[in-house]
Amino acid sequence: MTTLGVHNVGLTYGSRTALSDVSLEIPSGSLVAILGPSGCGKTSLLMAIAGLLGIDEGVITAGHRELSRSGKRVPPEQRGIGWVPQEASLFPHLSVRDNIGFGLRKGRRRNERVEELAALVGLTGFLDRSPGQLSGGQAQRVALARALAPSPDVLLLDEPYGALDSVLRHTLARDVARILREEETTAVLVTHDREEALDLADVVVVMDGGRIVQVGTPVEVYESPATPWVASFVGDTVELAGVWRHGTLQCEQCGAADFCEPSEKRPGCAGHVVCALGEVAATAQGYQPADGDEVRVVVRPEWLAPGSSGIPATVRGVSYAGHDALVEFDMEGQKERVRARIAAPFLPSVGQGFQLTLRHPALVFPLPSEVELA
Amino acid sequence: MSIPLVYVVWRAVDVPLSDITAVLMRPRVQELTLNTLGLSLAVALTALVMGVVIAALLSRVRFRGASSLLLISALPLAVPSYLASYGWLVAFPGLNGFLPSWLLLTAVTVPYVTLPVAAALRGTSAEGEAVARTLGLGPLRAFVDVTWPQVRPAAVAGALLVFLYTLSDFGLVAMLRFETLTWGIQQSFAASFDRSQAAILALLLVVIALVVVAAERSARGQVVTSRAKLATREPVGPLSRTLALLVVLAPPLVGVVAPLAGLAARLFQAETLRDIDLSRLGLATAATIGVSVLAALVALAIALPLAALAARYSGRWVGALETLGYLPHALPGIVVGLSLVFFSLAVLPPLYQTATILVFAYAVLFMPKALGTARSSIEGVSPDLVNVARTLGARPLNAWARVTLPLALPGLGIGALLVAIATMKELPATLLLRPTGVNTLATELWSRTSAGEFAGAAPYAAILVLVAAIPAMILSGVRRTAKEEL
Repeated sequence: MTTLGVHNVGLTYGSRTALSDVSLEIPSGSLVAILGPSGCGKTSLLMAIAGLLGIDEGVITAGHRELSRSGKRVPPEQRGIGWVPQEASLFPHLSVRDNIGFGLRKGRRRNERVEELAALVGLTGFLDRSPGQLSGGQAQRVALARALAPSPDVLLLDEPYGALDSVLRHTLARDVARILREEETTAVLVTHDREEALDLADVVVVMDGGRIVQVGTPVEVYESPATPWVASFVGDTVELAGVWRHGTLQCEQCGAADFCEPSEKRPGCAGHVVCALGEVAATAQGYQPADGDEVRVVVRPEWLAPGSSGIPATVRGVSYAGHDALVEFDMEGQKERVRARIAAPFLPSVGQGFQLTLRHPALVFPLPSEVELA
Repeated sequence: MSIPLVYVVWRAVDVPLSDITAVLMRPRVQELTLNTLGLSLAVALTALVMGVVIAALLSRVRFRGASSLLLISALPLAVPSYLASYGWLVAFPGLNGFLPSWLLLTAVTVPYVTLPVAAALRGTSAEGEAVARTLGLGPLRAFVDVTWPQVRPAAVAGALLVFLYTLSDFGLVAMLRFETLTWGIQQSFAASFDRSQAAILALLLVVIALVVVAAERSARGQVVTSRAKLATREPVGPLSRTLALLVVLAPPLVGVVAPLAGLAARLFQAETLRDIDLSRLGLATAATIGVSVLAALVALAIALPLAALAARYSGRWVGALETLGYLPHALPGIVVGLSLVFFSLAVLPPLYQTATILVFAYAVLFMPKALGTARSSIEGVSPDLVNVARTLGARPLNAWARVTLPLALPGLGIGALLVAIATMKELPATLLLRPTGVNTLATELWSRTSAGEFAGAAPYAAILVLVAAIPAMILSGVRRTAKEEL
């Protein structure tokens, strides 16, 4: 069992930069999700790790073994890295049995292993079918079994559920994660689906524009995003303008001090911010603002709750989603509006008055610089 | 592949410049050139107009069995031009000159325009026309303003192919005694063994062909393809429908049905049947099939590495190599034949008039047919499949043999069949290069017809039609199963 290392990797196609200074450690036995919008370089990173693409800068290693550097790479067939591409890509001219057995030597052991894997992915009765006779979900299971058959050190999955409908997608994703854990396979899953990444992965790597923006556990990435962009990419956000205040850690709004404590899980600088929600506890993300600085304030809708104390607010609209609803509030004397996620079935109606409290410290980011705005 | 071209140029340059200009200035040569250009231009124009009209009718008018109509309109492609002229000559031995050549060649070549334009029309949605109609344009204006610009590149490219076809055609014009450059080349080679003049005429033909190809290249690449939508077909009255049907069916009627009827009528006369020399017929059939199969295999063997390169790698060298591979497509068969005569005589005299050089000539001429389908069938194999095979431990060649090759095989087979069909019908290069005493169905048909023995030619023509129909039938079968597997 080895740790896969990606060190300062860069890759350009002509004038377009696909990867830029990407560094990443993937410890053995873990499931890492690479999350990003399409075109962010996540598939290029995966293909570079598989040895299907060369790299221009940096090094890719497995333990002490060097796999890739500029102008040199171990060919994919000698890496022991499995790959499940988008849309299954089964060999259409081979049966399910021969697809799963493609990477195995011929012999009796091969048949045993094929049957073992078919049982693992729940397709025992399908071995003699041709790929054309499989549903999308079944084809993905075969693709997984095929990649697992030669017992790779690392398995790479490139948006493997992209073509499936959402219900099937969810069950299959959970199944695959279970199988990977049972087999103790190190796996890298590329996806643009935030729920998939947060649900399945031990570690989430957020990429944008060929760079890694944040690496962290699903909780870290969701609750302490590195940038406002990450915050909005991994979940819903409410953005407000605010002014930073140093001072006591006690929250003047709610009176509670305990949840405002900074901890390892919440790196950054704890303090207060004055915004449309009043003066609330906040953590500055990865930087130290000065007292009186103008800042960007980000909160998640589910951190806001209607209660008997807090800021007076009136319901302006309700966007119903079944299990809960996003409720938009006008706040007394404020131009900015906020959205709160309120669990069904006790949903408010338009025009109703509430008082809103913030149950989690607000996230504080620096204002975009002039350069960024340009 | 470039051997033929190099040889013609070399051979022509070998001749002093003054001789070249002297040959070119000869009124006879100028007449041949004018005849060639005039006929090619006339055929290309009529084929362009008819092809666009037929394609538009096929895709916009509601016919019963519209899809089989498209197939029928493509039929003339299956018949070699000299067979069409033979069939007409059987019935009207007096036919000769520009007019019948023009009409028959148009009938034979219209599908080169009809098929790409029909395909382009399928690609352009009828919605654009519908929108134009709601904006107040009549049906004709809507077609001209909205749809025509989208299919124009396909139509022009098709017309240029027709031009090239006419330029290279030998059998039909020779039978109808309309004297063009190909005919002139054959005459000066066969009659007087004046090889320098033949080479100069061939070079002239090549230059014209290359100019046309260059024009085709610049017209290509602008074809707009959009997602196919179901075109709405207009229902029309019975009179207009009959009229439209007549227009659509005119080329296959003139180019295929009428000649075949003439052939059948002559074939089944008692004296024709009695006079059939069965052993000679059998030999010619065997020779035709033999060289076709060999040529298909050789062409495929040459095309395969080129296609594999072109499908997977892009770059200046690969692009240049591929263009070089397609070059023979533009070369008239008689030029390739002539240059290989020069080549074998100068470099390897023992090869002259052997089956080897003949098969090589076919491979050079028709390799592009295999190259195109081989390339697209290899391209059709998703690189992801090869990548998966690699990550499963297969080395590059192993992955090629286990994944790419089996998946590309139907396409490669189609390519080989296309070469075989073209080889069976080939006439001018065969006339120049065939080993002494060896006759193919095409040469027997031609020599008998040019000697006026229409009855004696009939059995060869009939067998040629039958033999060429077999691979065509296999072809449609392969295509159907390939479609079912997808």
